[in-house]
Amino acid sequence: MSALALELRATWGRAYGRLVGAFREPTWLITDAILPNLGMVAFVMLYRALGAPRSFEALAVVGGLLATYWINVLWGMGAQFYWEKQSGQLQLYFVAPCSRMAILSGMALGGFLLTTVRSAFGLFLGFVVVGARVEPFSLPALLGVFALTMVALYALGMVMASLFLLWGREAYHLSNALYQPVQFLSGLYFPLRTLGPLGIVAAGLVPLGLGVDALRQVLLGAGAHALLPLRAEVALLAALGAAFLWLARVALAHLESLAKREGRLTQRWQ
Amino acid sequence: MPGRGRAEASVRALAARLRASAWLGLQIESNWTDPFLFTAYVIAHPLATALILVGMYWAVRGVPHGADTFRGLYLASAFHNYVVMVLVGMGWMIVEEREEFETLKYVYTSPIGMFNYLAGRSLVKLALATLSTGLTLAVGWFVVGLRWDWAAVHWLPLLAALGLGVFATVSLGFFVAGFAMLMPRAAFTLNDGIAVALYLLCGVIFPVDLLPRALQWVALGLPFTWWYEALRRFLLGHGSSARLGAWSDGALMLWLLATTLLFSVAAHLAYLGLERRARQLGRLDQTTLF
Repeated sequence: MSALALELRATWGRAYGRLVGAFREPTWLITDAILPNLGMVAFVMLYRALGAPRSFEALAVVGGLLATYWINVLWGMGAQFYWEKQSGQLQLYFVAPCSRMAILSGMALGGFLLTTVRSAFGLFLGFVVVGARVEPFSLPALLGVFALTMVALYALGMVMASLFLLWGREAYHLSNALYQPVQFLSGLYFPLRTLGPLGIVAAGLVPLGLGVDALRQVLLGAGAHALLPLRAEVALLAALGAAFLWLARVALAHLESLAKREGRLTQRWQ
Repeated sequence: MPGRGRAEASVRALAARLRASAWLGLQIESNWTDPFLFTAYVIAHPLATALILVGMYWAVRGVPHGADTFRGLYLASAFHNYVVMVLVGMGWMIVEEREEFETLKYVYTSPIGMFNYLAGRSLVKLALATLSTGLTLAVGWFVVGLRWDWAAVHWLPLLAALGLGVFATVSLGFFVAGFAMLMPRAAFTLNDGIAVALYLLCGVIFPVDLLPRALQWVALGLPFTWWYEALRRFLLGHGSSARLGAWSDGALMLWLLATTLLFSVAAHLAYLGLERRARQLGRLDQTTLF
């Protein structure tokens, strides 16, 4: 088997396990898909209570949909190696003949596919039950911006996964701690422009904000109250995606050797 | 008097057990890092939640009458920290102890008793929730203009409402913990589900009037709906719901008292039953996640 075929099979193998495993535990559907979207409904209702223009409701729905991916990146990518460590499985990845990047890519692919299936509930809730409306839009543009956002976001997840190789309980707590602040700094439920210069800085660090802003521009036009022109956001997303993929590769190699030296790879309950 | 002496000894023993479990709870919550990072971790979540609401308000701040409505909703959101951190947190205690640290069985067999242990650990959660609520209110005061006239505050009913709400939170926390004991794998979902369901149903960030009619009745049966409305009314001078606005202050407090007592008694009985059932089914040391 060629090296490339081995990597691709490892990627698919890891993605397959994630997909099948998730469908064997249907209650996690509630945690991953239904609950975050119910939170989104609360924010839509807040806009309604405040008498905000209808476009803000759609804006919150788009943010809520992206929130499900952010949860997956945090817990399914970033903290995943922590869970693997706890279950005593992490070392198996390191003795496998494939590269760690293939395993991380498989985790990302499986997580993305699963979350996409689950976000169908959010679409239904936001656009059918709650009744949010968008402007006529270009489907290729939407898919293109979405794909770029996902690559950048999951590449960030790969960087986080490599960092979390070193950590024990800190990984769990960091994931917890990052969840809401990143939602705020990414403007998931309000236009990122509202944050002013802070929004620009945050957008340069986490691709979630740029992604949601660009998607809103495609779906809502001027109603998106965008931070930057769409072309600029697309270019930045592409650059962030490439940078995070490179960083993940470098960080993984470095932190793996560090974790081995410090004996952290098989350490549980720390 | 021997009877009085025994009672005093019992109270002292209870206090010692609560103190020990609270101390242990603090260690479990905080000993993974240094105090500075732990403080940042504790305040990050509520602060970010508050700032998301602030961002939403800033985005639409030109809307007429939006400011008054928003302040009432923001206030409830601040106190909802108690529900998230204490009520739901008590369910997470069971998940951590059983699934992650695998120590629940040792706690169960210790002389401290499961109920006292949970009560003691809830004290730490209460302290952290109070910190988060204070911080959220401070953000509201300085950033959103959530101000109240100190002289116009109805202190007595406010303090009574605060006490009842916290009591309801801890009481229902036992119920959530009991469920978490009985349902190892589903506890994850259940804990998150309760937090979101109460956020939606109790009129935290939107008036219950906006809920579908059937859900409004469910909301009126929950103590937290009345708690948040009472806090708004006695602190800010106005509620947020037209439907609840038709109730007098006395009637509002009466319903808060009635629903709190009802839920607390039911939650206590349910906890005892759930704990017993979990033991019968061998769920106390059943790990499913790792």
